[in-house]
Amino acid sequence: MSYNFNWSVLWTGQSGGWLIQGVLTTLHIFALGLLIALALGIVAGALRTMPIAPLRWFASGYVEFFRNVPLLVWMFFWYFGVPPLLPQAIQDWLFDHGVEFWAGVFAIGVYHGARFSEVIRAGIQAIPKTQLEAALSTGLTVTQAFRLIIVPIALRLIVPPATNETLNLLKNTSVALTIGVAELTFQTRQIETYTARAFEALAAGTIIYLVLCLTIASIMAHVERRFAIPGMIAQGQTGAS
Amino acid sequence: MTRSLTILAVAYFLMALTDLGHAQNTLEKIDKSGTLIIGTRNGSPPFAYINKNNDWVGFSIDLVEQTVLPALSKKLNKQIKLEKKESAPATRIPLLTSNAVDLIAETMTDTQSRREQVDFSLTFFVTGAQFLVRKGSPVKNIESIAGKRIAAQQGSTNAKIIRERVPSAKLVEFPDQPAAFQALSQRQVDAYTNDGIQLAGLKAKAPKPDEWVVAGEFFSYEPYGMAMRKNDSDFRQVVNVGLMDAIASGRYAEIYEKWFGAKGEVPYPLTPENKRFLQLQVVPK
Repeated sequence: MSYNFNWSVLWTGQSGGWLIQGVLTTLHIFALGLLIALALGIVAGALRTMPIAPLRWFASGYVEFFRNVPLLVWMFFWYFGVPPLLPQAIQDWLFDHGVEFWAGVFAIGVYHGARFSEVIRAGIQAIPKTQLEAALSTGLTVTQAFRLIIVPIALRLIVPPATNETLNLLKNTSVALTIGVAELTFQTRQIETYTARAFEALAAGTIIYLVLCLTIASIMAHVERRFAIPGMIAQGQTGAS
Repeated sequence: MTRSLTILAVAYFLMALTDLGHAQNTLEKIDKSGTLIIGTRNGSPPFAYINKNNDWVGFSIDLVEQTVLPALSKKLNKQIKLEKKESAPATRIPLLTSNAVDLIAETMTDTQSRREQVDFSLTFFVTGAQFLVRKGSPVKNIESIAGKRIAAQQGSTNAKIIRERVPSAKLVEFPDQPAAFQALSQRQVDAYTNDGIQLAGLKAKAPKPDEWVVAGEFFSYEPYGMAMRKNDSDFRQVVNVGLMDAIASGRYAEIYEKWFGAKGEVPYPLTPENKRFLQLQVVPK
């Protein structure tokens, strides 16, 4: 047995165009999914730290329900389950305007929103109560204390876990191929269909995901360094500079 | 530092891929392990699927069990066991080249571009692409799908043909039959295209078979073959001899009757042309 690699299949014919389309679709789902996930995550994460019990229960219900069911199931739910519940006119409109794409975006966004909310809750709860008390004792109002002290510190604390979640979100966009969204993994399979060259196609997909993820990771690392508070967090990274 | 480590990791990964070669040939491998490992499907009735009793069965699997396995056992002079693994259009060639399976026996169309990567047995079934539609649907054939939403199976030859011949059709490609059929039955798509025989299988298994019609002339030619690693003619010879003996002896016809006969899972009589075609592939002893 032998396998002769022929990397030129990746740029001859339509393959190159498909890969670019795939990357664009993946980034499109990623961007919209991330927006939904961040919005839901911030709201649910904040609600879970509120002193009002029903709000906490509501947010916990959302988080536990959505993060404990596999993403694949959510894909099918948003694609096969939701449209039949909508009025016929909206259904027809959706079917003509890429329902698979929007189902994919919602599945990713709502699922990762539940995961993000835990990151945000952890960030808020990681700040000791004494920090708030100290802020108040300097004469700040509660709102000022939150705006100037608590929230800025919490946002810095969550950068590493949020990076993790963002990378997961990007990679999970590939699950959308199960409902027919032509994202990157889908396109690598398409190249395999046309050229019968699976290893080259999969390797191309792997490297593109790696490059995308490394780019995001390095941007986030830069953000972390740029906004680090000297002597407080991330001192290992910035040293005494 | 991180970057150079990454480059190293990628380089290692690629080297591991290129190093897959130089193993023993398939007959030696099977002789040593006593097992023939096939890649097959679990949702493509009646070729390969999980039935009501939770058994993994089908026409392609029967062909392997009753024609290829006996030929192998005879050649190697010992009883060979069969092991089944799940394969999909995107994974079947890598499964072969990585030695994870020895033979792909499902619904794989023999094509020229695939023959550059793998070798095929003789053709064991002939079909062509059609459409599965709801009774009374405006989709009658490939000429009437312009602007319609058409489901297809990812990695299939049918999707490729539609993309080339009717670019205005909106293709939605699903990884497997059940998802595509679900989309069709919920009216998310107007038609589902696949090889005619698979659509007939799907229709027979549907909750209300009368609601569905397999429409249109064949718009493609889909000869099914069993795929194996390239340049392994000794193994290929055994597989082909098994199939030829079965066609010549009538064993093939019995298996065909079991699955596609009047009382079979999917009634689909063997046309005289196809019967003749199968017989012509049998070379003299």
